[in-house]
Amino acid sequence: MREKIREAFDSVHAEPELKAAARQAVARRAARRHRPIRRLGIALAAAACAVVLAGGWLYATPTVQISIDINPSLELGINRFDRVISVEGWNDDGTALAQTVDVTHLSYTDAVETILASEPVETLLAENGVVEIGVIGTDTDRCARMLENVRACTREQQNAHCYQADPDQLAQAHECGLSYGKYRAYLELAALDPAITPEAVQDMTMREIRERIAALSERTLPEAADDSAAAAAEPTESGLQQKTPGHHGAGHHGDD
Amino acid sequence: MRSEQEVNRAVEQYADTVRRICLVHLKNHADTEDIFQTVFVKYLLHNAPFASPEHERAWIIRVTINACRDLLRNVFRRRTVPLTEAVEQPAPPEKYRAVLQAVQELPGAYRDVVYLHYYEGYSAPEIAGILGKNVNTVYTQLTRARGLLRQALGGEDDA
Repeated sequence: MREKIREAFDSVHAEPELKAAARQAVARRAARRHRPIRRLGIALAAAACAVVLAGGWLYATPTVQISIDINPSLELGINRFDRVISVEGWNDDGTALAQTVDVTHLSYTDAVETILASEPVETLLAENGVVEIGVIGTDTDRCARMLENVRACTREQQNAHCYQADPDQLAQAHECGLSYGKYRAYLELAALDPAITPEAVQDMTMREIRERIAALSERTLPEAADDSAAAAAEPTESGLQQKTPGHHGAGHHGDD
Repeated sequence: MRSEQEVNRAVEQYADTVRRICLVHLKNHADTEDIFQTVFVKYLLHNAPFASPEHERAWIIRVTINACRDLLRNVFRRRTVPLTEAVEQPAPPEKYRAVLQAVQELPGAYRDVVYLHYYEGYSAPEIAGILGKNVNTVYTQLTRARGLLRQALGGEDDA
């Protein structure tokens, strides 16, 4: 019986189509196994790229400018995370200073403190120089908060003036080759001395500009000068509202 | 998961074994095709290594028998197939038809032990291990199956 059974089963073989169907089923199953992993991988990679790109864009886009003017004129680009992402000099001294101080990626308060503590700025301030620091941006509330922090950074400085402004005139300032702070002072001066040019203002120290404004204001109409100064300044400015002749050298602090 | 090459090698090596077990249990060609796919897809997904070729062969046999049982056990199975597919297993050669039919007509539990003992050459303890049965049960089933086959095929007994 053993031999009969063996011979009988020996005569049974798998048909080629059964093997082919099994191979196809295996191939389908193997592909299904790989596909979700590949798709998941692609999706994760795409999501990671999107996060990196979006994060990079958010990080690299300045939302506020901080204009620092003494004689060196600098503008710091601040992103929405309160980090400095660009430093631009708007005159020769400003360009030189931008190359010597490394404040990129610092918080804006650290950056302001670092710049104020740099040798050329410290020297100018020791010689009774005037520093004007503007916080320029469209988000008024945020700029107001930043202004308070910048004022806290300049508390030790006798001749520091801080202000907040809308960015409406930022492009015009840059077209004239001036930082926002210097352009603002230039407008005040130009109102009193129409012959003044942006080029002439570019390398003047803020003290020189302010003294000239003060001198012209005294010689002409003080009231008109105040009005013109107010007209030149942005409505939101705070630091220069009480600017008067003698203010710059008189030791008033910027958070006046 | 095993490589497709590995599975293709197993298909070549064990297709006849799977086919013979299907012949013992199933009458429908489409069911046989299902079992083929089930067994070799399970092989594809079976990650544990086999200790030896014998171990691998025993695994294929156990999986095939279980797959056949699952298919037959599913009382809710309402399989509908086109008439063109509803064909029976291809008929074995005339010479062996009586023997195979005698095995197919044994009670379900006996068919496996007969096939495993008389064709695959496993001992009763080995069959007990493959089928997860008591050894004495295997001995009993073998004895009873032998008696039924003797009746069907005419008396010789060489077990």
